[in-house]
Amino acid sequence: MATGPTTGTDGRPAAPTGTARRRLAMGALLVLAVGWSITGLEVTVDRLLGAPGDAWDIFRRMFPPAFAEAAERGVVGKVFESVHIAWIGTLIGALASLPLAFLAAGNVAPAWVRVPVRQLFNVIRAVPELILAMILIPITGLGPWAGALAIGVHSIGTLGKWATEAIEGIDEGPLEAVAATGGRWASSMRWGVLPQILPVVTSQWLFRFEINVRASAVLGMIGAGGVGSELVSQLVFRNFPAVGAVLLMTIVVVLAIDTVSAAVRRRIIRGAGRAPGDVVGGDRNAAVLVDLTGIGR
Amino acid sequence: MIRFSDVSVTYRGGVQALRNVDLRIDDGEFVVIVGLSGAGKSTLLRALNGLVPATSGSITIDGTEVVGAQSAELRAIRSRIGMIFQTFNLVNRTSVLNNVLMGRLASVPAWRSTIGLWPATDTEIAMQALERVGIVEKAYVRAADLSGGQQQRVGIARALAQEPSVMLADEPVAALDPVTSRQVMGDLRRINRELGITTLVNLHFLDLAREFGRRLVGLRDGEVVFDGDIADVTDETFRDIYGRAITDDDLLAVDDEPTG
Amino acid sequence: MNGPTVAARPTRPRPGARTWVIVGVLITYTVFAGRQVGFDISTFWNVWSNPLWEKFWPVPWDWVLDWHNVLDPLLETFQIAVVATLVGCGLALPLAFIMSPLTSPNRLTMIVSRSVMNVVRAVPDLFWAKLLVTAVGIGAFAGSWALSVFSLAVMVKLFSETVDGADPRPLEAARATGGRHLPVIRTGVLPTVLPEYVAYGLYVFELNIRASVVLGLVGAGGIGRVIEAQRQYFRFDRVLGILLLVFVVVIVIEQVSVAVRKRLV
Repeated sequence: MATGPTTGTDGRPAAPTGTARRRLAMGALLVLAVGWSITGLEVTVDRLLGAPGDAWDIFRRMFPPAFAEAAERGVVGKVFESVHIAWIGTLIGALASLPLAFLAAGNVAPAWVRVPVRQLFNVIRAVPELILAMILIPITGLGPWAGALAIGVHSIGTLGKWATEAIEGIDEGPLEAVAATGGRWASSMRWGVLPQILPVVTSQWLFRFEINVRASAVLGMIGAGGVGSELVSQLVFRNFPAVGAVLLMTIVVVLAIDTVSAAVRRRIIRGAGRAPGDVVGGDRNAAVLVDLTGIGR
Repeated sequence: MIRFSDVSVTYRGGVQALRNVDLRIDDGEFVVIVGLSGAGKSTLLRALNGLVPATSGSITIDGTEVVGAQSAELRAIRSRIGMIFQTFNLVNRTSVLNNVLMGRLASVPAWRSTIGLWPATDTEIAMQALERVGIVEKAYVRAADLSGGQQQRVGIARALAQEPSVMLADEPVAALDPVTSRQVMGDLRRINRELGITTLVNLHFLDLAREFGRRLVGLRDGEVVFDGDIADVTDETFRDIYGRAITDDDLLAVDDEPTG
Repeated sequence: MNGPTVAARPTRPRPGARTWVIVGVLITYTVFAGRQVGFDISTFWNVWSNPLWEKFWPVPWDWVLDWHNVLDPLLETFQIAVVATLVGCGLALPLAFIMSPLTSPNRLTMIVSRSVMNVVRAVPDLFWAKLLVTAVGIGAFAGSWALSVFSLAVMVKLFSETVDGADPRPLEAARATGGRHLPVIRTGVLPTVLPEYVAYGLYVFELNIRASVVLGLVGAGGIGRVIEAQRQYFRFDRVLGILLLVFVVVIVIEQVSVAVRKRLV
């Protein structure tokens, strides 16, 4: 299969054929997968056409949102409860994941420790918070503590992975310097690694907090505290104006937290990038952050 | 006294960086080591404090064997050897004083250094080290906010804070401009004379070597090809060590007049 | 000593009032939130000795590996993820271009689209799922809609950053030829950003596989429905079996996705 230019009869290079064939194959595969998936989902034309209409209908019925009623029922408090849950959960995750990350980074930890810890992170990350909460509720009982724990444990996985990557991206010069003074491994971590990673790790924590606020709202749906339970109960009664109120309040709080957190994160990274000798660190911070966006779970 | 006896270092890839090196360095000497890149200068210094393990041979400092020393023993040896680096290796985000205090890590209890609660005696030692290199007024400035020459002096202060008997300098001025380079080399020479600390300096620039060195060791392909007084050194000597003619790149400053 | 006269030692700077205020606020809030949440330190050691753990073992593999019970719904989960990724990412492509200052047709649409996307992203994904389930009924159909919205949100966030950061020079060149808006984008920007688009698309697909598991918990189809049902019967041993199976599937898909992504970028 020719992938480079070959000379045709008129002396001009012939167009490469290999890539075109590959693309066609992948395209066909894609079409097949899609077709099979759609049929598997019982998507009929009238359902497809009707769905936007149904959704729009519900959306319409949410206006005007029943704010007064919601305030009476204490929905605002519930929304803030979700924030508290996310805060405590993120804190638990952050404090537990950082020491573990030192054990998981390739440039500072030996292989026999590094591999199990990384696998631990992977396993934890693979379990959605909802499932964790389901498992925890019989033990802790219903309520926000189950939610906070579920979020906390799950965050250990994600935050651990991000922190490990941050550690692996540092300048190792200071590490050598600490070793040369006769310092122990722990001192190397404290003085050689920690100052370099603290800005990016802190912004990782804040970013995770933003995601966790949404997660804790969702956890309310199975009784782990927060505003999710409100949403479910109002939906069951088909009390759409109330649903609208809940949604709107959640959106406002989430947006507010997002904005503040993003501003703080920007300041942290900018402040950290000041050091002239730190250009590499600054770029890597940006790179890690871009990687973070959209890592929803 | 430092003694290298038939020391060889082979890296894991198979590259042999040092071959059968024999050296004897008395207390208080100021030794300049020259050679092409890859000739083994860095390896020689790092073998001395165990950052690079020697494959064979023996290295002793005042009778203590470095080769094969493990953890606590090795750390004890290192605490008596101060090292400064071409890239300074400072902790950029923290203060100059904290950087210098890192020289006290080996003698301060772990919990104290972790929290940053350094004992007063160690802070005093750090301050004195800063005074000795002349930048104590920058003690609380962020290390990254200093110029290159100042950063290297912080590095020297950090090494001094260890109260070492040996000072290793791995191309300490390669990243600095000519004027600053001379200042730093002058500091190293002054410290050697005033405190009597045995000093080994890797240098890339041959005019600096001739100007500041007392004893010259020339390395080529991991072997010692010259070891003698700086007074006996000629351009011919350098050509032998380098195995080629000297170029302008090997000299710090072609047009400037050497000062001091 | 013939050096310069020794300078006076500086005094140690104290952290400013602002720092203390921030620290104080954070600590106070943490304590307050901890109380509100019902932080219970004893859970950390109680959790191990809970008799509930016995219910998780042994795993009834014959039940778990049965087509009708588990594998079929798992397949449905996969299909939901495929459709959702395609719809979501498909819509995200033009939307990201509309949202980016570099390629937007006009300023108003850019602002409007950015605001709408911000609001969409502010709604937790499972809320979407629950709403859609209420609207269009339980099942995979609702699930794929909900996930499509989720995919759209994530993809737009990721991809618009790529578009924002794309090299503007080919775009300028294309504009200079006087072409109309769409062909200009097609030739000036698309080739640059396409590899990352596909890479992100694969990544979103991975996310969707995991997400559709959870979606089923609110009735939106797929394996999640089975998990929820078994949980309600307290059949935790079956739940564990399903989770393990899903875990394996996710890992496999992840490896494939990583390998394909490497070859793209």
